[in-house]
Amino acid sequence: MSQRSRSIPALVATALVAAGLSACSTPEASPGVTDDTITIGTHTPLTGPAAAGYSSISAATKAYFDYVNDNGGINGRSIEYVVKDDGYNPATTQTVVRELVQEEEVFAVLNGLGTPTHSSVVDYLNENEVPDLFVASGSPQWDQPEKYPWTFAYNASYIVEAKALATYAQETWPDKTYCVLGQDDDFGTDFTTGLLTVLGGDGLASTQTYSVSVQDVVAQIGAMQAAGCEVNFLATVNGFTALALGTAAKMKYRAQWVSSSSGGDYPTLVGYLGEDVAPLLLQGFVSSNYLPFSPDDEWVTLFQQINDEYNGGAQFSGNTVFGMSVGYLFAQALAQAGEDPTRESVLDALEVGTLTGNGIVPLSFSKDSHAAFEGVGITVVDKGVQDYVGEVFTTDAGSGDVVPFTGEPVALEGDGIPTA
Amino acid sequence: MDRLVFLLGTGLARGAVLALFALALVLIWRGARVINFAQGAMAVVSTYVAFEVTALTGSYWLGLLAALVSGGVLGFAVERGVMRFASPRSPLSGVILAIGLVMVLQSALGIAFGPDYRPMRVPFDDSAVLVGGVPLLSPYDLFVLVTAVVVMVVLAVLFRWTSLGLQMRAAAFAPEVSRLLGVRVSRTVTLGWVLSSVVGSLAALLLVPTSLGLNPHATDSLFVLGFTVAVVGGLDSPVGALVGGVVVGVAMSLVTGYLGAGLVPIAVLGLLVLVLLLRPAGLFAAAAARHA
Repeated sequence: MSQRSRSIPALVATALVAAGLSACSTPEASPGVTDDTITIGTHTPLTGPAAAGYSSISAATKAYFDYVNDNGGINGRSIEYVVKDDGYNPATTQTVVRELVQEEEVFAVLNGLGTPTHSSVVDYLNENEVPDLFVASGSPQWDQPEKYPWTFAYNASYIVEAKALATYAQETWPDKTYCVLGQDDDFGTDFTTGLLTVLGGDGLASTQTYSVSVQDVVAQIGAMQAAGCEVNFLATVNGFTALALGTAAKMKYRAQWVSSSSGGDYPTLVGYLGEDVAPLLLQGFVSSNYLPFSPDDEWVTLFQQINDEYNGGAQFSGNTVFGMSVGYLFAQALAQAGEDPTRESVLDALEVGTLTGNGIVPLSFSKDSHAAFEGVGITVVDKGVQDYVGEVFTTDAGSGDVVPFTGEPVALEGDGIPTA
Repeated sequence: MDRLVFLLGTGLARGAVLALFALALVLIWRGARVINFAQGAMAVVSTYVAFEVTALTGSYWLGLLAALVSGGVLGFAVERGVMRFASPRSPLSGVILAIGLVMVLQSALGIAFGPDYRPMRVPFDDSAVLVGGVPLLSPYDLFVLVTAVVVMVVLAVLFRWTSLGLQMRAAAFAPEVSRLLGVRVSRTVTLGWVLSSVVGSLAALLLVPTSLGLNPHATDSLFVLGFTVAVVGGLDSPVGALVGGVVVGVAMSLVTGYLGAGLVPIAVLGLLVLVLLLRPAGLFAAAAARHA
């Protein structure tokens, strides 16, 4: 083949590349956006063993979006929320997220749920520059702006929660014997790391773990009882919090329980324990939270109304508040992203750091931080009511100090429908 | 020492339930030479029946009775309505049908009752009795243990000393010869399914109050562990199911107590591999004698 004939395809290729580059320079509508709709999606367990704990979250988010859409949407666009069931199986997550991106052509993935599940798609989403917003997991790995520029966390990290709870425990019950029961994965190890940061290397008299595949914690609770544990931290999902407390009660073992927000939702725990014994077992139960949850809070009142009207009056729990708060934050980001939102403009809206969300501490989003909440408040159950006790701490997911926070929670504005 | 006693006691109570469930698998294996992968899902259906009956009547015992009856009916329906159509040429056919049945039953329960866990109560004190300062078995654990032993004794008597038991054993072992001798093989196979389903339902009903609660997936891990127990003990052997159940239950408790809960699934699988390597037919199998 001659030199000349080979150069023709090369020329054509160069011309095509040049044309492609020039096309990039003019802003193009992002996938999933039309004049009157914006389509986003999520992966979450709706069936299988994990559905019990989490299927109510996406329903709550959808109810909030329905409420927004009935009130004119955001910048005239209604939000379409495509919920894909992954059964909490990472292999399925990979399939459904590809469906969302390639077939449904979603604008963004919102609130993808779970550490093992979302870990399996975070690289894919970032390689394809799909906004990966407000991951429903407390793993600190979502806050890596350099490695994952398109991924933003939502939950306060397990480390932040543990540091705040340990600080509260030290103030409230000094000189007691502290122990921990944690899930045998990232959740348990990250949480325990956070505890040790505050309590010191030998601060825990007993470190117990459980595996979700074995619904029995008698041996672990027995070990804590034998070790003389008085204040027990829990890095447990709601079901295992209930199982731990129930098991301890059967063994006539009294201790102070201090739980991460992932396993500290009072209405959900009542579902596991039963309405008759739950108030007794949970009296004095300490947990952390970063979202509005006081019974008379204006956000809670609004969310209850939305839940009644748009979610068929489903049981109102921490999951409901969580799902709707995620929806609110997305709506806020969308409103700030301008009349014609693009994937880049949503990213900019988040990184500029002016979004408020609706938490009890300000959001931490910036160019250097993709963590949402770097602080939590302490809640206590008293006579069947779980409420904040006024102590709020902020800290980072590293070795930074735990600082009391005295600011006010974010107030409700404009019926909970954000405007630019 | 206190710790060891405590862990042994805990393991014994869990082992009894595993043994009972494994026994259900053994019954079907003995009666029809299939492994019933739908055993767990069928048992959870009966447990929902018990839950609803107890909620309606306020009586645990009526609920228990309802679970046993519905377990029997379900065993009958599954054998006559589904498993009978499995191809006799390949054991896989029955396995696939059973797995399909699991999906149908669990989805139906999810649609009907939702995915949430429901607490189940028992009319026993379930707090552990302290022996020398060590929390040992609770009255409920004792009830479970006694029930398991009684069921096993009754079944042993049935199979060993009654004509019906002899017919069932013969029908499973040599169906053609049994037919020639006048045994109604089709009936005894169905009866095996009914018995097995009743025992499986009882195991699930005893287990659920000690776990997270009632949910369409409440018996998933019970099935996996019960299957392990049945294989360890020998699929053919009720005594194997009992011993296997106690061995696995105690091993799980000791591993959790001394090594950590994360190692439990690995330890159980390790035990399974070990037994399959050393005695492929299970600890108490009588296979060698039969082949002779």
